[in-house]
Amino acid sequence: MDAMAHTDQISMSQSETLTEASDNKIAARSVDVFYGKNHAIKNVDVDIDDKTVTAFIGPSGCGKSTFLRCLNRMNDTIDIARVEGDILLDGEDIYDKRVDPVQLRARVGMVFQKPNPFPKSIYDNVAYGPRIHGLTRNKSELDDIVEASLRRAALWDEAKDRLKESGTGMSGGQQQRLCIARAVATQPEVLLMDEPCSALDPIATAQIEELIDELRQNFCVVIVTHSMQQAARVSQKTAFFHLGEMVEYGDTEKIFNSPEDKRTESYITGRIG
Amino acid sequence: MSDTTVPLESQTGHRSLLLPDEKLKKRRRSETWFKMLGLGAVITGLFFLVILIASIVYNGVPAFTQTYLTIPVTLPAEKLDKVGNRNPSDMRKVSTFGYKPLLEQALIDTLADRGIEMPFDDAGILADLLSDGAAAGVRRQVLDNPDLVGQTVEFDLLASSRIDGYYKGRVDRASVNRGMVLTSVHLDVADALKEEGLVERRFNLDFIIGADASDNRPEQAGVGVALLGSLFMILVVVALAVPIGVAAAIYLEEFAPQNRFTDLIEVNISNLAAVPSIVFGILGLAAFIQFANLPQSAPLVGGLVLTLMSLPQIIIPARAALKAVPPSIRQAALGIGASRNQMVFQHVLPLAMPGILTGVIISLAQALGETAPLLLIGMVGYIASNYPDGFLDGFVSPNSALPAQIYEWSKRADPAFYERAWGGIIVLLVFMLAVNILAVVLRRRFERRW
Repeated sequence: MDAMAHTDQISMSQSETLTEASDNKIAARSVDVFYGKNHAIKNVDVDIDDKTVTAFIGPSGCGKSTFLRCLNRMNDTIDIARVEGDILLDGEDIYDKRVDPVQLRARVGMVFQKPNPFPKSIYDNVAYGPRIHGLTRNKSELDDIVEASLRRAALWDEAKDRLKESGTGMSGGQQQRLCIARAVATQPEVLLMDEPCSALDPIATAQIEELIDELRQNFCVVIVTHSMQQAARVSQKTAFFHLGEMVEYGDTEKIFNSPEDKRTESYITGRIG
Repeated sequence: MSDTTVPLESQTGHRSLLLPDEKLKKRRRSETWFKMLGLGAVITGLFFLVILIASIVYNGVPAFTQTYLTIPVTLPAEKLDKVGNRNPSDMRKVSTFGYKPLLEQALIDTLADRGIEMPFDDAGILADLLSDGAAAGVRRQVLDNPDLVGQTVEFDLLASSRIDGYYKGRVDRASVNRGMVLTSVHLDVADALKEEGLVERRFNLDFIIGADASDNRPEQAGVGVALLGSLFMILVVVALAVPIGVAAAIYLEEFAPQNRFTDLIEVNISNLAAVPSIVFGILGLAAFIQFANLPQSAPLVGGLVLTLMSLPQIIIPARAALKAVPPSIRQAALGIGASRNQMVFQHVLPLAMPGILTGVIISLAQALGETAPLLLIGMVGYIASNYPDGFLDGFVSPNSALPAQIYEWSKRADPAFYERAWGGIIVLLVFMLAVNILAVVLRRRFERRW
């Protein structure tokens, strides 16, 4: 099951590569976001690579989370939010009228700042996505997905004996890994992570960071973080946001070692933010 | 450092901690005052609660026992079964009036038997010791068991309400002479009967399951039919108000767009919750009885009126409960690709369930205790004198409700009805208590931690 999903994704991304002549998983073109009259995101262009961890950094309120939420249309749930511009997933406009955000979110999974497992058993937490999307035909297939997802989230060893226990009874770090397992279980192509470690202690943070590095082999991972060290540790590409603009985007190494923009340099060196 | 001298400064030169601070003292004083005030309020509340419960129990408990006279009654075949084949359908021709002389004779015989002097010229006056319903009780037992005819059988005859009241201490010699029916001579006979051990006071099941009785038979009045009326009304409210109210709350909270129209609906719902219940009563009279031609005094109509009344009281707490579900759960569900419907019904609603249930049960309890609107649609107490014929008839046949029955009794002149009114309140409170316990159990079941 695990391996099949893996090869599926590889072949899919290869075919996309042939047709699109690019390995961009996500392409955003002149994206603007408004919250009522507040212009939260200003004209952002970005290409996000598959099988890569891309980090969005920037000071609080710079719009990095807002932009992340555009990528799976979570902003749709906010009445006053309005998104302009194009965001392409594998070359298809996700804001096209024909796109149902529910379908999109099955392909673009999300992990939130605060661990938010459902108040159900660990098993049901992970199995929920596959169930509602009808990914399995029988119980044993579902069992396989749950195990594979928990393994991917490095939680299987801790959870295998307590699958029937409530997910809310775990520690914070375990809960967050459970949320990752839950997101992975729907077999998405992209994983969005909105400050996934900000509510966790350093040890749990290290575990999650290690996990993110492993997830890169199968997914396109986009992570929002307020910790520059974290961005430096886990990401290959980094985008720096400031006051709703994307100031600079490039290889993480380059952003941290030789930023081109003054504002990026100021933020990296701790003068703003 | 000695205890008598308080230093102004500590060793480091700051103001000493041992020095009392006037301003802080004032703050502490106000805190103490407030604590005492709060404690006083709680104690006052408890005091009145104790008084309330004590007076309800003191006044109401006597309604749960009833006095009977154990008298041997001779049942002559030539009077009760003229055909002679013990066929109940033939014996039915002898009405209650046919049994009355038998009871009068039985009383006279008993007095003579026990050596009690017969103080009256007329046996009918002596028979005022018994309830008007006593003869009917004997007749029912004879029809149930025709073989009793021709024998002398001991019957427990229902005593009249005054005699019952005399044994319970409600009626005394001074007050009985003020009434038209009995005299203190009757009470002498009653005392003599008691000495002979012919008086029995036992649990009054008929009060709980019986029907209301006419003004001159308070000893036979019961809350049973009115209780059924309340039950049928609550069934209507549960069947209509709960699904409509919860669905409206879910729609308004989770699906409705935020615009002027929904704002208007919201304001209206909040205002409806504050409308006096009697207004709903007159609305029900106009809409359901006069316009829709539904039957008067029917629990169906009462249930509809109470549904209108309960809706805002269900919707408002249900919305609050839905709003209290943390947004992180909604995001988790949506983020995984759940549709809005799946998010609401699989995640939000189960978590909001305890709060919704609390609102539902409080509004049901309130509907159960409502009197005023029912009076306007004809569900007055004295209607509750006949049992409905079966389940469906229970919704449409004229009936009353428990609180309306209590109100009816409290209006009647005879103090015996007053006792029944208090007893009815005990039944109502036990009913409420049962509903509340159910509420707590349901809440516990649905409560989940996250």
